[in-house]
Amino acid sequence: MSGGKKYYAAAVLAIWLIIITFFMILNRTLDLEVFFVLSLIGLLVVAVLIDGAFSRPRYMRYISYLIAAGVALFAYIVVEKILEIIAT
Amino acid sequence: MRPRASHIILVAAVVLVIAILGIHATAPILYSAENISTDAHADPSTIKKRSPGDAAAVIPLMDELLGETGTLALTIKLKDYENAERDLARYTDLSGRFDRLVITLDASDTDIGEFQQKNRANLDSLATLLDDSRRLDDLKRLEIEVRGDEGQHTAIIYEGEALRQKMRQSFSSYQERETAVTRIAGNYNLDTTPYQESIEDFAEVADAADDWRKKVGGNTPPSPLSITLSPTGGSYGDTIRISGRYTGTPPDTPAEVYVDSRLARSPVFDESGHYTCTYRIGRISAGPHIVYATAGPAYSDVRTFTVFPGNTTLTLALAGVNRTTVACTGTLTTGNRSVANAPIALRVDTTMLVTAETDGNGTYEKEITLPAGEHTIRAEFHGAGFPLNLSESETGTFHVPDDLPSPLPLIAGIAALLGTGWYLRRRQETPDEAPPETPPKPPEEEIESPAIDITGLPPRDAATVLFHLLRARLGLSETKTPRDCAKVAHARFFERYERIRYAGEVPTEEELRWMEDIVRGEDAHAA
Amino acid sequence: MQREAWVILIILLLAGAVTYAHITTTTEDYSRHNIGWNGTSNLGLKEVEELPTEGILLIIAPDKPFTSEEAGYLRAFLESGGTLIIADKDGTANPLLEALGSAMRIQPGNLSSLERDHVDPRIFRVHVTGNATIFAGIETLLVNHPAAVRGGEALLETSPLTWDDADGDGRPGDTFGKRVVCAREGNLIVLGDPGLFINAMHNENPEFIGNLQSVLIERTHSRTGTKNPIINTLTWIQETPLAGAALAALAILPVAYHFGRKRE
Repeated sequence: MSGGKKYYAAAVLAIWLIIITFFMILNRTLDLEVFFVLSLIGLLVVAVLIDGAFSRPRYMRYISYLIAAGVALFAYIVVEKILEIIAT
Repeated sequence: MRPRASHIILVAAVVLVIAILGIHATAPILYSAENISTDAHADPSTIKKRSPGDAAAVIPLMDELLGETGTLALTIKLKDYENAERDLARYTDLSGRFDRLVITLDASDTDIGEFQQKNRANLDSLATLLDDSRRLDDLKRLEIEVRGDEGQHTAIIYEGEALRQKMRQSFSSYQERETAVTRIAGNYNLDTTPYQESIEDFAEVADAADDWRKKVGGNTPPSPLSITLSPTGGSYGDTIRISGRYTGTPPDTPAEVYVDSRLARSPVFDESGHYTCTYRIGRISAGPHIVYATAGPAYSDVRTFTVFPGNTTLTLALAGVNRTTVACTGTLTTGNRSVANAPIALRVDTTMLVTAETDGNGTYEKEITLPAGEHTIRAEFHGAGFPLNLSESETGTFHVPDDLPSPLPLIAGIAALLGTGWYLRRRQETPDEAPPETPPKPPEEEIESPAIDITGLPPRDAATVLFHLLRARLGLSETKTPRDCAKVAHARFFERYERIRYAGEVPTEEELRWMEDIVRGEDAHAA
Repeated sequence: MQREAWVILIILLLAGAVTYAHITTTTEDYSRHNIGWNGTSNLGLKEVEELPTEGILLIIAPDKPFTSEEAGYLRAFLESGGTLIIADKDGTANPLLEALGSAMRIQPGNLSSLERDHVDPRIFRVHVTGNATIFAGIETLLVNHPAAVRGGEALLETSPLTWDDADGDGRPGDTFGKRVVCAREGNLIVLGDPGLFINAMHNENPEFIGNLQSVLIERTHSRTGTKNPIINTLTWIQETPLAGAALAALAILPVAYHFGRKRE
């Protein structure tokens, strides 16, 4: 099935997001920053696992940009949290 | 690629989600369980905890205060003035702590607040008793020394009489408070024996002064200095007119009028020996106060005037100075008079207290810096030292918006972005140039080229042949891999071939034909 | 195609499980079907409808009035040596207390305390005075918006800095005083805080929940049931074996019929 791996990757990512949402609701706290960090981890894991050694399909071409943006936002969140901790 | 409806919907959905996320980006905590409760009960795990604080210290402190009255009165009675000073200092310190505790716990409106006021009055009474006792002892010593000197002796007798009257007055007001204090102490099961003993000791000291006076100055003529008060009672801001007459020749020095043993006025005698002055009721406590005058050696009788407590009104207005600071202004009035130099407590969020003071016109102003969030501010006046009842203003709210994001995390984010971009670029072998525009459709001209012959070959081999041909026609060397060729032209062709060759996929007939067309198109270009 | 069918099946199963969980639970206060913070699902005590002749009987937050017959049965239970614990904070149990001949009454109000660990003034600790088996080995209990109990011998007492917040503003009112939150008269114990039994309070008072092992809950009057008709129907089906058998038969018959037909 053409593009089977693409659909697998999308499905796994979606299930991971549903799992984290479930646990956040169970914990009665909805925090965007926590959600973003966990989803970025999921994206990175999926991207590493589906990247083939020999070919780069089109849907993988531009994922590097997405990951770069994600890491930038992650760095922003980390530094903001460090400042918060230092300020107290 | 032709935009399909699903692509458009996807892009629109992504834009919408990013917009919604952006709105909430500054307040990332969307929901957290806080203060969950129903009519009947609340969920304690969602209620914030606080340190139990000083509430447990209230009752032991009240116990200690009652105990201190006992020890202080005893040491005064035994004339052990050094220890009495120490005890008084400790008692004052404890009273100060208790006052602060009552204000912090917001219990001023309860019987603990009443106890606090009575305690303050007791403290004043006992402090005055100490001073008066000491002075009386000095007088007793002096009296013996100046037995021969008529003039000085009379002066001492007069002063002694004034002191005796003061102590009597002081004792009666101290005793008046007994019922209220014992009632409140009973509510909390406090031991009131030291307090009862202090009342007895106080009585003994006052009686001792009486005895001494009777013994020593039984037939001294009445004092030449008279004193009258009009009116004999008033509230904050009223004036009491103090006047009197010196029978005989008044001394050259002006008369001295003492209110509560402190010099208040020094009116001059006129030709007929009259003196008069006014006293404005200011920052003194409610209840009876003692007034007497002296002129040279002569002391007048002791008179009392009563200060009645008045009700106060306190206003509060909040004005934002900048994003995080709020200016609180207001006035404290009683009746239609303003109250000057009064301490105001501003209660922020029910636990934090900020002090302010009213100026000469009764207005106060204070700027408070607050962290982000909603805050409630209320001004309270606790009437400390004033003959005024406590009052509080309306509660105002002030909202401080969240801080703008500081630049440091932004810089870190941009640095991470640049770093990741640089790293990802380095991973690619050749610089990432935009591949030259390739026409999505195969070229229109289709010229038969004799060099393409793939009939009879298995599909994968046919694809290999086509790949070699296309590569040659594009002028790329034999060492170029399909991925390298993809960067140059016909990306789809080479990507598809890459999958066929390395991933073992099998091209369909249609795909082979399509690949052939591309090669032929390239032929046409080359030719 | 098969893979997609599996995915859809899994999603349907998940959705079914979530719906089942949603339907068979409720958010009513004190309900044993409420798995949230204010339910009693973790209490794990046996419920009875017929009054036993001895033991400890607990009535949690009664909301229905007691008939004189029921009061008579309860009186007989008390006289035969059983212990009755009535936990109520609205005052609905006061007519029953009168009918049982007791002098104790529940005074609903907003008891608040200055000595507390939480920001909410109506959640605070009370001290155990007196002897009772349910409070054995406990020194303090955390109570949650309790009501005061008048009369009887005091079992749970608040700190002296407690007041009844009549205007509900959270600020100390006129007089402070020690209030009684639980009192007993012989075998009758009146507890002014049924909130001690909800799930959220189990962690705060673990020894108290431990002491409740042999207590029976009186089902008809305690508020541990639910008004939800679906849950009530399911419970009824579980309890009457005939209904369960009938339902099973109803489910199996069409399947058997279908397979039977096919063979022909």
